[in-house]
Amino acid sequence: MKLIYSHLKKFLPSLDIAPQNLRDDLTMIGHFANYYEKLPDNDFIIDLDIKANRGDGLSYYGLARDLSVYYNIPLVSPIDPDFNIPASDYQLPISVTSPDVRRVMALKISDTQVQTSPQWLVDFCNLHNIHSVNNIVDLTNYVMFMYGIPNHAFDAGITSDSLIWENNQGKNSEFTTLDGTALKLSSQNLVISNPTEVLSTDLVGGKKSGINNNTNQIILEVAVYNRVRIRKDSKELKTVTEASTRLEKDLDSNLIPTAMNYLASLIISSSGGHISSQLYDYYPQVESESEIEFDLNMPALYSGIDIPTDFSLQVLKQLGCSIENINNTTVQATPPSIRKDISLPEDLVEEVVRFFGYNKIPSTQALSPKTLPDITPGILYLNLFIKKELAQLGYDEIRSWPLIKQESLIPNLIPQDSEPVYTQNSINSDYPVLRTSIISSLKSQQDQYQRFKVPQVQFFEIGKVFNQSQGQYHENYSLGIYDSNQSQLSSNLEKLSDRLKINGGNIQSYNDQTGFYVEINLDELVKSVDLAYIKDQPKSNDHENSGHSVELTSQIITLDANIILDQQQDPRELIKEYSQKIGENLWQLIISDIYHDPKSDKYRYTFRASYYNIDDKTAKDIHLTVFNLK
Amino acid sequence: MNDNLNKILNQYSNQISLLTSKAELENIRVELLGRKGIINELFQNIKNIAPEERKNYGSELNQLKTELENLISQKSATVTSTQQISVSDQKSIISLPKIGHLHPITQTEEQLNNLFRSLGFSIYDGPVIVTDEYNFERLNVPANHPARDMQDSLYIDEPQYLLRTQTSTIESYLLEASKDKLPIRTAFPGTTYRNEKVNRSNHFIFHQYQAVVVDKNITMKDLIGTMDLMFKTLYGPDVVVRYRAKYYPEVEPGVGPDMQCFKCHGQGCPLCKHAGWIEMGGSGMIHPKVLANAGIDPKEWRGFAFGMGLDRWTMAQNNIHDIRTLLGGNLAYKPSAK
Ligand SMILES: [Zn+2]
Repeated sequence: MKLIYSHLKKFLPSLDIAPQNLRDDLTMIGHFANYYEKLPDNDFIIDLDIKANRGDGLSYYGLARDLSVYYNIPLVSPIDPDFNIPASDYQLPISVTSPDVRRVMALKISDTQVQTSPQWLVDFCNLHNIHSVNNIVDLTNYVMFMYGIPNHAFDAGITSDSLIWENNQGKNSEFTTLDGTALKLSSQNLVISNPTEVLSTDLVGGKKSGINNNTNQIILEVAVYNRVRIRKDSKELKTVTEASTRLEKDLDSNLIPTAMNYLASLIISSSGGHISSQLYDYYPQVESESEIEFDLNMPALYSGIDIPTDFSLQVLKQLGCSIENINNTTVQATPPSIRKDISLPEDLVEEVVRFFGYNKIPSTQALSPKTLPDITPGILYLNLFIKKELAQLGYDEIRSWPLIKQESLIPNLIPQDSEPVYTQNSINSDYPVLRTSIISSLKSQQDQYQRFKVPQVQFFEIGKVFNQSQGQYHENYSLGIYDSNQSQLSSNLEKLSDRLKINGGNIQSYNDQTGFYVEINLDELVKSVDLAYIKDQPKSNDHENSGHSVELTSQIITLDANIILDQQQDPRELIKEYSQKIGENLWQLIISDIYHDPKSDKYRYTFRASYYNIDDKTAKDIHLTVFNLK
Repeated sequence: MNDNLNKILNQYSNQISLLTSKAELENIRVELLGRKGIINELFQNIKNIAPEERKNYGSELNQLKTELENLISQKSATVTSTQQISVSDQKSIISLPKIGHLHPITQTEEQLNNLFRSLGFSIYDGPVIVTDEYNFERLNVPANHPARDMQDSLYIDEPQYLLRTQTSTIESYLLEASKDKLPIRTAFPGTTYRNEKVNRSNHFIFHQYQAVVVDKNITMKDLIGTMDLMFKTLYGPDVVVRYRAKYYPEVEPGVGPDMQCFKCHGQGCPLCKHAGWIEMGGSGMIHPKVLANAGIDPKEWRGFAFGMGLDRWTMAQNNIHDIRTLLGGNLAYKPSAK
């Protein structure tokens, strides 16, 4: 929602505020403002995100109401006080058959003159990202933005006066919108037609019946519909308009007369003409308003700060609630019909607190520690314990997508008598199935590590695996470990079992040409471990652990080098020394061979250095320099 | 060994060690050991050597040839598959004892878990495959509620079963399980799923962190203070966070934390879409309907809930630029010594 200061001031003439202050204040009371832009004549425009439950916030009027409470300034009507809709003998022959219409008002104006819009209106349209068409169409849009109620003008010379609000009876299956888009209508769509054809949908007007330069009589309509119907039509017709984004919110039917008055007065003053029908009003069920019993102390109790009951009462009144006193501190409040989001005492608490100021609540008083029974599931203690043990044993933790490719399913690793679980509507359709085994994920990871030529990988994942059987979905935590060296993996598994104080357990294993995989069902394992012992282990975070993860952007380059030394040296010290010399692009440095030449009595150390996130040539340059090979 | 031969050995052993492809190795092999190669040439030259030195020279030349052949055949094994070096040569490899690493997301989660444990919170958990009831209805989002548009859900069996779209779903299960065991203080990390395209800056899997407290007389001041402590724990003591009105269907009143943009310090820049502030998540007092849906009397108990995403922070902390890396194959760990 965009808000132009000069038009906001039509509701709030006494408002006088700098753009950044208005932006910040709007944000603090709940309408997040992204940016403001300066306009000529000391004007400016603000871009706002309006909350999903605040249909009224999609209008200047709704936002002005909030600001009038916040700044405690009067809210005025921009409508010419001398304007009124005169009595007429002519009743428009309109009928409404659709149950999706909450309220419609319609009015005919004759002898209008269509022309290009005045500059201020063209500017307004441009700033709201809509095309300026002509004075009448632009004013319908203007009133939609000002009061938040969509409306439309028909060329009565084309449509006749016999408008029908109906769920499409099959008059047309094809419909061309104002901007020329072709829509395929279905039978449920809410449309406005005449006895022969569809003139407009609930979302967007039609090309044929739109206002053009020859139009000289118009029918204005202002309406509010069942928002569920709008949502369905908008999805089905893949059409999102300024009108549809408003109509799919809970709008206020009681605001329709005001919007109609404003629209008619603006059009007559801009295009001339005169009103030539009675005001048509279809309002089958007057909408009820909620009555809320409200304790004026509630805002203080909920916020935790001192908010006087006087202030609570003042906010309620300024919001337009009608108030009846029950006792000293309790009132019965009926919120104004424009505020469809207020129906509970807690809703009123939010109103009072946001106008009092969220920023008056201190942010320095966290809950103090309290001892309560530990309801942490044992599996979470086990998961963390195992992660830390495996890291100690040299394994890196990976995390991957639980959704995998169909071909990544490993048939042998689908539990007996069960089936994989598929998503139905994923737009990432290459990954349709939930993994049944964590090994599928480890294998994909190992493929990637091979592609990046990462040397000597050892890694594990703890994550959920899924399957279904007998109409039930199952999920459990699973541990998977990969190691290229089988005996190393076996010995580490033994060490893990020792630490967990268990004797083996049910281990699934798997291997491919690169190495060995094991998988353990942790929801099973947790039943056989001593949880008291597991919970007792220290839980502090190992911060020395952080800062080693790397986003690989290219293959790791592994190069060998020999150095000849007169004397034997501690290879570990040599690794440290040369690692320092290589610096930040070193992935890993190992000594792969030590050879003593008996004749020369010299020692040859063969290094294998891996370099990452640099290109081949740079790696070789560094390598040649560090190992004196130039 | 004769100086000249020694030079050849050193020169070529280094050259061979630098090779990364089989083709390059074959070229060197031909250059050295081929029919017209250097070694054969040296053997041909033997006739130019003084007769008394010929025998010694010949045996040194043979020694050189053997060493070069060994070097080439060793290298041949490694260029075929670098991956297998570690397996076949395990015994001869010397490296510093390695320590493994926890995933960056796990580290962030644990940092927060530790904070909340110190305040007497339990860590909680819940299912990934959930029902519409727990993901939406119990959280005050009935069918056709506009808030459903905020979340494109990933269905297993539409409309009943889906992958949880938010950690608040865990809250639904938690509140139901705890209705007779109040008060509670809980925190929980969780993966959540949305039906969104995956690219460099967007994913369909998100990592969220949520805290839920139900007690008597819980206030917005408790909520804001506790949330602020969390932000300071993660982002450091100098972080500037403001708390403002914000709508979420499962809370009332709702509270939105915004962090002052760390790049422009509130001046406005492309990162913060020129707002000067970055939205950090959502929170509020648990909606009375949500408590009632779980069988908790909202007249007796109040609660707060807050949630935030962990992905962007974890990426920034670890210098990760592509969100896919967080759950992807190109996240690796630089080997570090114990
Ligand atoms: Zn910024």
